[in-house]
Amino acid sequence: MINLNKNIIRSILIPSYVLIIVIVISGISSLFAYLNTGADRSSMLHTKLEKIEQYIPEVIWSPLNNEGRPMDEEVLKKIENDYLDAWYVKLVAYKTNTTFGIKDYYTDNARKNIFDFVELNTKEKVTVESTTLNHHPTLEFFSEDGQLAVITDKEVLEYKRVFKDEKLVLETTEKSTYKIIVLLEDGFWRIRHFVKERSERFKIEPDLIAAEHLNIKGINYYPQATPWDMFGDAFLINTISNDFKIIKDSGLNSIRVFVQYDDFGKADVDKEKLEKLRLTLDAAEENGLKVVVTLFDFYGDYSVLNWTLNRRHARTIVSGLKDHKAIVAWDIKNEPNLDFDSRGKVNVISWLDTMIDLVKSIDPNHPVTIGWSNVQSASILKDKVDIVSFHYYEDIKTLDLAIENLKKEVGEKPIVLQEFGMSSYAGIWKPFGSSEEDQANYHKKAQEIIAAYNLQFMSWTLYDFETVPKAVIGSLPWRKNVQKRFGFIDINGTKKAAFKFISQ
Amino acid sequence: MRNKYTYLSFLALILSSLFTLVQDREVTQSFTLETTQTEFEAGSPMALKFSTSRETRPLLYCSSSYGSTLIVPTYKSKSLIYDVPFNISSKIGLVNWKLTYENSSVSGKFHIHPKKEVSSMETYIGPPSIEAGGTDYTMLVVIPTDSLDNPFPENTLVLAKHQFLNSEKSEEIFTEDLISYKTIYSEKESGRLLVSSEALGINSKEFSVAVFPAIPIDFKISATRPHDYADGNQVTTFSTSILVDQHNNIVSDATYVTFFITNEKGNILKTSGATINGIATSKMIHPDYETEWSVKAYVDGIAESELIILRYKQVIKDFEVVFSENNRVITVGPLQSFMKQIIPDGLQVKLLIYKNETLFKTETKTSFEGFVNFNLKPDIYKNDSYTIVVKTAGLEKIFNSKIL
Repeated sequence: MINLNKNIIRSILIPSYVLIIVIVISGISSLFAYLNTGADRSSMLHTKLEKIEQYIPEVIWSPLNNEGRPMDEEVLKKIENDYLDAWYVKLVAYKTNTTFGIKDYYTDNARKNIFDFVELNTKEKVTVESTTLNHHPTLEFFSEDGQLAVITDKEVLEYKRVFKDEKLVLETTEKSTYKIIVLLEDGFWRIRHFVKERSERFKIEPDLIAAEHLNIKGINYYPQATPWDMFGDAFLINTISNDFKIIKDSGLNSIRVFVQYDDFGKADVDKEKLEKLRLTLDAAEENGLKVVVTLFDFYGDYSVLNWTLNRRHARTIVSGLKDHKAIVAWDIKNEPNLDFDSRGKVNVISWLDTMIDLVKSIDPNHPVTIGWSNVQSASILKDKVDIVSFHYYEDIKTLDLAIENLKKEVGEKPIVLQEFGMSSYAGIWKPFGSSEEDQANYHKKAQEIIAAYNLQFMSWTLYDFETVPKAVIGSLPWRKNVQKRFGFIDINGTKKAAFKFISQ
Repeated sequence: MRNKYTYLSFLALILSSLFTLVQDREVTQSFTLETTQTEFEAGSPMALKFSTSRETRPLLYCSSSYGSTLIVPTYKSKSLIYDVPFNISSKIGLVNWKLTYENSSVSGKFHIHPKKEVSSMETYIGPPSIEAGGTDYTMLVVIPTDSLDNPFPENTLVLAKHQFLNSEKSEEIFTEDLISYKTIYSEKESGRLLVSSEALGINSKEFSVAVFPAIPIDFKISATRPHDYADGNQVTTFSTSILVDQHNNIVSDATYVTFFITNEKGNILKTSGATINGIATSKMIHPDYETEWSVKAYVDGIAESELIILRYKQVIKDFEVVFSENNRVITVGPLQSFMKQIIPDGLQVKLLIYKNETLFKTETKTSFEGFVNFNLKPDIYKNDSYTIVVKTAGLEKIFNSKIL
């Protein structure tokens, strides 16, 4: 008995001793680890600077034909980096009326001018939110000792929003030409002189593309297993291809897919995701389907200083896919009007406006649209888009009235009813929801209206889903569960009654 | 005369300004710009005056080279006056403005030109040192600026002046892209180049550029020594001829010269020195045996000397070896030099001890007052028969079967 007790005590004591030692050692080691953190010696000098892309306007250098010393690519790249950083710190300075970073990129004499402006604008309570979208620099001169360069930056596209007492006074886009002298000081190419030589207001007359003939009869598409995560790790091209066959066989001719801004790598577009998108387009082409690609899904910042990043993202995707035969149109953004309250209507609309210009400048052959979430917003920027798109989840009975009103506002411009549908969910979270029969009737009625007004359409959506991510509709169960049942095909792969009315 | 161009260009500017559109008219019935001037001098007071019948006081957006702001008007007898703030009016370049009210706007531009007096000559010169010979050059960059730190417009005359030895030159250059520049080539001679510049009667400071001699061409070397005996004691001094570049400029001090000495055995000794006034010297102790040195000097990768040969004569003709105390004490000497004088201390004597025809031990000592004593300890050298060899000054003596 005593022996047993001893053994029990031993078996407790030994592991607890080991445990205490482990805790003490790990405690000491984490203390050591903590004491070893802090300034890294290599960071004492400016030897290694982490480059975070925060401002990447499009820069196109003229061919080098400068006077003085011949320029090499590396120095030019360094000048470009520091020159853009100089712009960036200036833009931040005028946005916040602080002078952080100015010292690094402007010489003693030049920085005084910026400080004076910040002081004046602080006094007058003026702030300027601005960015530059394009630069066309020419190297005019590079001194023999490699310490001084003169640049003419032509047609700098500047977007500005000027506030007084935090109230927007003016929004302007200017195209200006600057002459700049930069000096190499302390390893930085610093601005010494900055002279504006020309400036004019900039306005692109939209080059509209006819879209009446497209006859889009389509559906919004997510694979059943991976809704809102179409290009993730579970990407299966065969599943997608089979789904496309189902869509084609049902009499439809197009689909709408979504490119999520963060998921696709923001400014630095993930090549793998882009390749998956291309495979999807290939599959659509094989099945005779056209694709509306919706950009900037789940993006909601719009702040002026981030525009260059957004544009790099759009530029990469649009220029990469513009020649694909499956593309039918670009949808700039899904339901941007939902951000009006949180981000400001002016911010959102001016963002969309310049983004349309960009997409059209890269791809002049495909029409552009915006997927407004309701019919009231659908006429915003109607003169810039080629197709007016809106989503309709309200009472089907008032759809014809909504269309009539919209037609009055947008005139001849083709209209796409870009999302519509009804959930067949009726259950514990919504006891008086709609049945599959109600859903079928809804689509029947919708198709009648579509036929009557000769609309183009894209319904929501092919499948019922098992899960809906929180980011889509929130985590409230009465919303999530409704959202899961919008499909024409249910969870088990059986076609619902509404499938009959998927197309005309 | 030299100011003529500047005045002409100013005249042209003023003339051209008369034809410049004052404003882009959009909807102007409410606010009409009355200011007709579109060309201003930096630092002068600037104001835009609008006549209006309205009560509203819209803000004027104004954007210059460095930034943008909003200007609050003052109202005086049916006109609104917008005073351009000093940060805008003091910097040259285009200023664009816009008056926005109730969905319509008036906009326009005006130019600001630098003041007519140069206040400082912003000068950059580099590289600060160049090579003589007429192929290398330095570059003078001048940015004439006014008292408000504005660079001058295109085609402002700048005189680039430089002095070198007996020549003084002044050349006319014109500003373009805000700067003016001049490349100044070196001449055949080395020396100091003084540079300055002048614009609109204002002169810059003095700047200097060092014109260094170019790289040396091949040269000669010589050797001086107290005697030509291989005594292992005296020092031979090598020196170069005056190192010059191809235009006869003495190369910069501290040009590094390496002397390579190859003896008869093919061994290489190396010694080096830096030039002072074109001459590099370096020293090497004499060999302690008869040999011949081939000496050649190099400025690494740039120039070399011709080869010289030095012969060192044998200094010790013969020496005596005395064995004592059962052959355990070996006395070498007296070691006598060329005049029979005792050789200076420090001559190396080597003792090689063979046992059964294999090398058993080597002992090395240096001479002291002409003698070297070797003491063969019984702990190491057991009683036996050894062959003992004594080597010094390139000579060798063999003693077979010495019984210890």
